[in-house]
Amino acid sequence: MDFTGTLAISGSALSAERLRLDVIASNLANASTTRTPEGGPYRRRNVVFEAEPLEGEFGETLASLTEQGARQGVAVTDVVEDHAPPRMVFDPNHPDANADGYVAYPNVDAMSETIDLMAATRAYEANVQVVNATRQMAQAALGIGG
Amino acid sequence: MDVTRIGIPAAPTPDAAAGSSAGGAPGQASFGQVLKDSLAQVNHLQHEADGAIHELASGGTATLHDTMLTIEKAELSFRLMMQVRNKIVEAYQEVLRMQV
Repeated sequence: MDFTGTLAISGSALSAERLRLDVIASNLANASTTRTPEGGPYRRRNVVFEAEPLEGEFGETLASLTEQGARQGVAVTDVVEDHAPPRMVFDPNHPDANADGYVAYPNVDAMSETIDLMAATRAYEANVQVVNATRQMAQAALGIGG
Repeated sequence: MDVTRIGIPAAPTPDAAAGSSAGGAPGQASFGQVLKDSLAQVNHLQHEADGAIHELASGGTATLHDTMLTIEKAELSFRLMMQVRNKIVEAYQEVLRMQV
């Protein structure tokens, strides 16, 4: 069915937004983490979205090239670290303080993470709306002649 | 629509597969065969949805939205199957009411 392609596009977007949410959750969870396996404070992570042409699920249909070009799913192809300098806080009693008594805290800004969180939530909702619209269109099509 | 071939899926006979050669151009699947195939696909999607729900409930790797999309797909294909069935039954009854 042709509607499954639309659902697959929205599905890929929902998966991507979920991964973005996971990354934001990691950033907020580690907003004060000073130790990581790689050493040093936690670094803020960010997702990279990439458009991904949708391959036909139920056998290649004879869709024209235009039609194939119109179906672009999305995927998170990379999770990159933010190389902004860490936040330095003076706390000589902290075990991870450097020689000058400064502790390197992650370069995570809780406020901008919260805004990203809202953006991810809204994008997720928007894609759910697309799924619902697809469903409504399919049901309208099934009502033809009824 | 060739109403006579509706009987094929109701009573599958050994020559149901050969019906394609009997019914017109060679290599062209008969209406009954097409119906059977799409029924199998609907069934497959239902099983897939079942499996997705099971996977989600048992804490597998399935995500919530993927499960919902699978269920949605299964539901839509089922509705399509029901509409086709309604049309066939309608046509059958139309023939039944025919004056002879």
